[in-house]
Amino acid sequence: MDETERYEPGSEADFERLYRNTYRRILGTLITLVRDVPTAEDCAQETFERAYRNWSTWRPDAPVEAWLHRIAINVAISDRRHQRIRQAGEVIRRLGRPDPGPDPAVVAERSDLVRAVKKLPTKQAAALVLRHYHGYTNREIAAALGVPEQTVASRLAAARKQLQAVLGR
Amino acid sequence: MSDIERELEEELHRVLDPIAARPIPRRRALSGHRSLKTVLGGAGAALTIKVLTGVAVAAAAVTVAGAATTGSLNPVVWGQQVTQQVSSCKSKLAAGDHGIGDCVSQFASQHGAAVASAARHHGNGNGSGNPTDNGGSNGTGNGNANGHGKDQRRGQPTAAPTVDPEATDPVQGHPPVRVSPGP
Repeated sequence: MDETERYEPGSEADFERLYRNTYRRILGTLITLVRDVPTAEDCAQETFERAYRNWSTWRPDAPVEAWLHRIAINVAISDRRHQRIRQAGEVIRRLGRPDPGPDPAVVAERSDLVRAVKKLPTKQAAALVLRHYHGYTNREIAAALGVPEQTVASRLAAARKQLQAVLGR
Repeated sequence: MSDIERELEEELHRVLDPIAARPIPRRRALSGHRSLKTVLGGAGAALTIKVLTGVAVAAAAVTVAGAATTGSLNPVVWGQQVTQQVSSCKSKLAAGDHGIGDCVSQFASQHGAAVASAARHHGNGNGSGNPTDNGGSNGTGNGNANGHGKDQRRGQPTAAPTVDPEATDPVQGHPPVRVSPGP
């Protein structure tokens, strides 16, 4: 996590800077947690909305990106809860669509591994992405998720095991 | 690092890096967007539909109740009224009298005048319901205002409309013509 940046809680300019500095990483995490890229983008915006509402009360005693990730994972969990209700409508909406081109978002949705990650429990998937995409340590992930470091280690182990089973490796 | 971990890292970077390289969109302003979506989607949608259906049913009930109170041009209601009128006319018949035609016809002519007035009010009556009317019965549609007007053409007295008390042109585009006898 980038801890060189300093942010003043409640500062509008600092929040805008925080958004610019962290949006891509938050989006990257969310893409592996929710069903598609547009939903991930929507969840990313929701994450920053929630963060903005609490920006004045944020205390810089913890890494700001860990705080954002925690919000993002909660948004993803909330989205997954509503996903089943929306699924029927989504199937109907997608019927008759032309074959999509090589859009990076489509590539992401077609990746077997990313699809397998999406099927994991949200907190396991989040730990996996924070560890293997963002390169966070288990301690940093524990701070982001608000759980003991040992819990992170067990979630990572369970996630890897399930991925191996799904992918047949 | 195990094979699965290495593969995971490579695949995540291959897939996510191009998306992360996209321009950062403008931050969404605080709004009720998400809340609205929640209301309009999923279980909220069902609730919304129920509420809207309830409002529609309530509005329809009010309309029907109002029509029943004030009189109605609805053919079903009209049929019921005719049935009642026939019964009433029969009961008024004196011993030895035959035929209730005039009695029923008088009632029917009132309805004809009312319907013609209402049709003119909407601009689609053809005015044949009351040949002596000088109002704005200049519509071009196929109004049904002539349904019961033949009785008036036979010289029966014209009863005042019961549904539309005002037989004048509502937009006053056609002022009443006064016909006075010549010198």
